[in-house]
Amino acid sequence: MTVGEPVYSTEDFSAPAMVEGTAHVVAVEGNMAWLVPETGSSCGGCASASACGSKGIGTTASRLEARRFQLVNDVGLRVGERVVVGIRENTLLRASLTAYAIPLATLLSAGALAQWWFGSDLATMLAMFAGLALGLWLARLGAGRLLVRGELAPRFIRRASPGETCN
Amino acid sequence: MKEYILLMISAALVNNVILARFLGLCSFMGVTTRIDTAVGMGMATTFVITVSSMADWMVETFLLQPYGLGYLRTVTFILIIAATVQFTEMIVKKVSPPLFQMLGIYLPLITTNCAVLGVALLLVEGKMNFIGATLFAFASSIGYSLVMVIFAGLRERLALAEIPRLFAGPPIGFIVASLLALAFMGFSGMSAG
Repeated sequence: MTVGEPVYSTEDFSAPAMVEGTAHVVAVEGNMAWLVPETGSSCGGCASASACGSKGIGTTASRLEARRFQLVNDVGLRVGERVVVGIRENTLLRASLTAYAIPLATLLSAGALAQWWFGSDLATMLAMFAGLALGLWLARLGAGRLLVRGELAPRFIRRASPGETCN
Repeated sequence: MKEYILLMISAALVNNVILARFLGLCSFMGVTTRIDTAVGMGMATTFVITVSSMADWMVETFLLQPYGLGYLRTVTFILIIAATVQFTEMIVKKVSPPLFQMLGIYLPLITTNCAVLGVALLLVEGKMNFIGATLFAFASSIGYSLVMVIFAGLRERLALAEIPRLFAGPPIGFIVASLLALAFMGFSGMSAG
């Protein structure tokens, strides 16, 4: 192909893509495997590394440990194995909408209503905090519903090849 | 009502945080390789900017101004932003641990995002009331998220395009960003008209 020639892709952009990441198995309990995600190779070199916890005193391990997750072990994974796991792309969108958009929507609606009704800063402030609390409660319900439907769980895609990293 | 709508349009489009004020460029180039990461980062930043601006307004109005402590503003705001990020992390973890596993990675990066501090300092300059300040912060962060998603979409397309070797990667990204900034300059005609 020469430079300047139009590029035609046969990739279906409307199909829900998977967001992939590598993780390694740290424990196997019955039919379930516990996995810890691996950090990207560029993580330690980023300008924000000291703030995000990929560099610094004892932070990497604790952060990764907090992101430990479970997977149904149908393929007989053993401790120490590296696997590629994925979640659907729209799951991430739905999760961030649940966690952030719902509380923000209730916060701003409550604030706008209070400002229109009372017209004072103090009443608006109180209403906004009440709205935030209500929104967080609704987000909790929404997240529970997503969890019950199994949409938040990562899926096993394949065993990772030796040199494979997430970036 | 009309003034709040104009304030929000101005904050989101005319004086866009990234393309008009050139704040938050680190995350703009860093996490826009995929649309989903741009959305995740944009939503988390929107939440943090809105909540931290509320706290910043209160501290500015009830503490810094009455006691003449304006010289401590930047340090105080940085502390508030860090505390808000920590608070958000704790809340998301409490609301739903699986959500935290999925979204928690974006949160600590926001502490070092200068757009968050920039919006807080702009609020002080604007001398707005509480609802005005909150709506300004919210609209600014919506403008930030909008540009992040547009740019991520463009970069996903760029990844498929045949680009001369010297321009591949960040250089073509910067060229596209400059064209996008030029396009956003068109919105300033709205305020002039």
